[in-house]
Amino acid sequence: MASIAHPGIHAPAIPREQAAPSGLWSWLTTVDHKRIAVLYGVTAFIFFLVGGLEALLIRVQLMRPENNVVDAQRYNELFTMHGTTMIFLVVMPLSVALFNLVVPLQIGARDVAFPRLNAFSYWTFLAGAAILNIPVLFALPEIFLSIAGTAWTNLFGAGLPDALQALGGRWPFPWFNGWPFARYVPDQGWYGYAPLTERFFSGREIDFWALGLQILGVASMAGAFNFIVTILNLRAPGMTMMRLPIFSWSTLITSILIIMAFPVITIALVFLSFDRLGGTMFYGAFNLVEGTLVTSGGDPRLWQHLFWIFGHPEVYILILPAFGLVSEIIPVFSRKPLFGYAVMVYAIAAIAFLGFGVWVHHMFTTGLGATPTAAFAAATMLIAIPTGVKILNWTATMWGGALTFTTPMLFAVGLVSQFVIGGLSGVMHAVVPVDTQQNDTYFVVAHFHYVLFGGSIFALLGALYFYWPKVFGKLLDERIGKIHFWLTFIGFNMTFFPMHFLGLAGMPRRYSTYGWESGWWFWNVISTLGALLIAASVLVFLLNVLRTAQSKQNVGANPWDAPTLEWAIPSPPPVYNFRIVPLVTHRDQLWHDKYDRIAESHGRPDDVADAIVEVDQLPERSRLGVAVAEAQAEEGNIHLPNPSFYPLLCGLGLFLLAFGILINNPHIQLGFLGIPIVSALGFLLLVISIYGWSFEPAG
Amino acid sequence: MATAIELQPETAHGAGHDAHGGQGHADHPPTSTGLNSRKMLMWLFLTSDTMFFGTLIATYMSYRNRSIELGMPPYPNEIFDIPYTSVSAFVLLMSSLTMVLALSAVQRGDNRGLRIWIAATALLGAIFVGGQFFEFTTFAKEGLTLDSNIFGSSFYVLTGFHGAHVTIGIVWLLSLLVVSLRGGIPAEKAADVEIAGLYWHFVDIVWIVIFTLVYLIPYADGPEEAVEAAPEAFLRVLTLGDRLLTALPF
Repeated sequence: MASIAHPGIHAPAIPREQAAPSGLWSWLTTVDHKRIAVLYGVTAFIFFLVGGLEALLIRVQLMRPENNVVDAQRYNELFTMHGTTMIFLVVMPLSVALFNLVVPLQIGARDVAFPRLNAFSYWTFLAGAAILNIPVLFALPEIFLSIAGTAWTNLFGAGLPDALQALGGRWPFPWFNGWPFARYVPDQGWYGYAPLTERFFSGREIDFWALGLQILGVASMAGAFNFIVTILNLRAPGMTMMRLPIFSWSTLITSILIIMAFPVITIALVFLSFDRLGGTMFYGAFNLVEGTLVTSGGDPRLWQHLFWIFGHPEVYILILPAFGLVSEIIPVFSRKPLFGYAVMVYAIAAIAFLGFGVWVHHMFTTGLGATPTAAFAAATMLIAIPTGVKILNWTATMWGGALTFTTPMLFAVGLVSQFVIGGLSGVMHAVVPVDTQQNDTYFVVAHFHYVLFGGSIFALLGALYFYWPKVFGKLLDERIGKIHFWLTFIGFNMTFFPMHFLGLAGMPRRYSTYGWESGWWFWNVISTLGALLIAASVLVFLLNVLRTAQSKQNVGANPWDAPTLEWAIPSPPPVYNFRIVPLVTHRDQLWHDKYDRIAESHGRPDDVADAIVEVDQLPERSRLGVAVAEAQAEEGNIHLPNPSFYPLLCGLGLFLLAFGILINNPHIQLGFLGIPIVSALGFLLLVISIYGWSFEPAG
Repeated sequence: MATAIELQPETAHGAGHDAHGGQGHADHPPTSTGLNSRKMLMWLFLTSDTMFFGTLIATYMSYRNRSIELGMPPYPNEIFDIPYTSVSAFVLLMSSLTMVLALSAVQRGDNRGLRIWIAATALLGAIFVGGQFFEFTTFAKEGLTLDSNIFGSSFYVLTGFHGAHVTIGIVWLLSLLVVSLRGGIPAEKAADVEIAGLYWHFVDIVWIVIFTLVYLIPYADGPEEAVEAAPEAFLRVLTLGDRLLTALPF
């Protein structure tokens, strides 16, 4: 009995050691949450570089007035893909990578509740990301040619060499260029307002965008279902909801937001796809019937409502995981338990709940009338209260603590300070007259980068440093890490703080250039220099990763002396995570085991004795869990879920299904009846894999 | 649908079984809440599905009278055959009864009863979908298509989405029927049927809402009446926003 009480302390040796399988096939069929975390993390980081390059091009274009590095069309494509990529392919999957890595370990589970569904989430995410980026892939040579041409002309005063011109902005393999799916890249902005997305005003690139986002929604929802069940059902014995680590709480509530918000955008995108491919007019006020425009009865405001009913919860989907991570990091480096744990939990829940009732603040200038506007302004201001509570609690956690400013701590404190700036400019937008003035200016761009970069990205970078030793057994270099942090911090503020001034001076967002007479050039130069600093900071981070990969250190289970269960097991964790399922008696279990017990156990022969008493006091279900753990420890063999190829096949099926719809529509007006062969193949593959999945032994 | 992954070893089953006093809970390992994880997954999916249908229904409601006000026929009153649809709605509701009987049978270990009632449920579902197919064909002949007017667009997408749900449910039930025919579903695996049942009942309940809001609540006969019945002018400007606010399920 005693052996169960102490994770990793009195664990008996397991006779048959289960080694992790290796090779490409093992990665394609993996259902291990730690590997899926790595897959998500690597994919998201690659898209972070892609989205970052798009941002750099935007900044280079805006560096000086009347610049011509990219033309207006390419500029529209850049900001659209930058926004879509950073939100759906970077911040969300990086958060999901951390859900996958941390949550099962933190709650003392061997894996998530549905390991194959988890793999399905990843492969479906990859399918959606691919669909979304196919137009970018095909436009790359043309983008490169135009940028290189401009640079060449500016530098040498002559056009590009003939050899490059001859390629005409096409890939050097002709068969590849034979698939010109979309002439352009999505260019309508990340929130895709109708009627810009309607078939009369755009090309097939919007179909890629709409179908890509629908598939990404399926991936997000599948993952969210899984994490809710995992957190509710797979907690270690004794881990009550109010002993749940705060990051798991934020995962739970983020997942609830996902399952409630993503259906709305999915249906909105289904309407859009019907408008574009099926001849309906949900979002357009006019329809083209036999060559003449007739009133259709559709209304572009429907899209705005549906998009923002999803879109506002989405911003909390992006920030709540970051809040959870910071709530894990700050106590560790303050050497104090989190201040006001229960209030932090309620604050997350309150933010999520209110997040569903404020979407109209994105539409104040749409003209919905005084009553809705006033009601939504008030609701928006309310959200400042739970958010302010969180800021206060982080500060109070640090207050009087023994602070050590390691890189994760620097990023966490960076979030607290930068998010306050973004939060304050956010509350300003709740004031309708102020919002009306600032709508569609750079002030808004400054605001959401302070909450998304200064908030989410800071926390995610801090979490990479914090959890790196858990995944790889090695600490990232602290010296380079600090350089990374300060470069990011200074570059970030240089890039985005001036945008407040530009916005107030009237510079509109999404304009590809501006005139000399505007007087905006100075702050734009500063902003572009800041963006280059951020780019440098990413290179410093990559250098850090490479250097750490070469080192031979192993830091052991708990390099930061952190209190939660994931730090009780070796780094990197064994495939089965926990040899024996831990018994949880306190919120910060490892600190309790290490510090409280030492303090409490004076004069007692065996400080484990009280844990045995506590097992008897547990409810029946938890005692059952202990019995199971004992049985496993005696058996000496931990049963793991079987790897499966079906999740990957399902993802491939969905990809082909969407891809077929996209390639078989040379004319936008083609109805759904022309179901192409590729789609049929994808559908067949999907059905076969679902049946294979259902009837294969789960392990 | 995903099947649960059992993370505990075979011996753990034994332990769980014994601790429960052999009450037949060995099908799934003990969970923190005591609830079956797969059943919880289905409830969460249904939460999501409520939002899917909520969005579709809210859209339908905000466009409900739009094409009549604009004078764009065919109008709902010319199209709908309420007695016909009432019969098929009744058939679908009865399928919930047979679903309950199927679950009751499998829980008693009565595989013959299970086959009969699952087949009956799938058959009633198929009658409903067939009826919907016939209804759509008739409507299309009378001029209501996906792109004829906003009424056609929102009607077909909403009811089509529901019909797709019923169709998936039928395929699921038939799969259970095949499993049952090839060796039977033991009473410990009654959850397999129960989860399909949750889905089936949900789809039925949604139809009650759709049938009421789309078919039963009366429409104006033509543009004059529609405009007369419409709210005051300033509200009409805001119809979309205001109707969405009142029609959304939160």
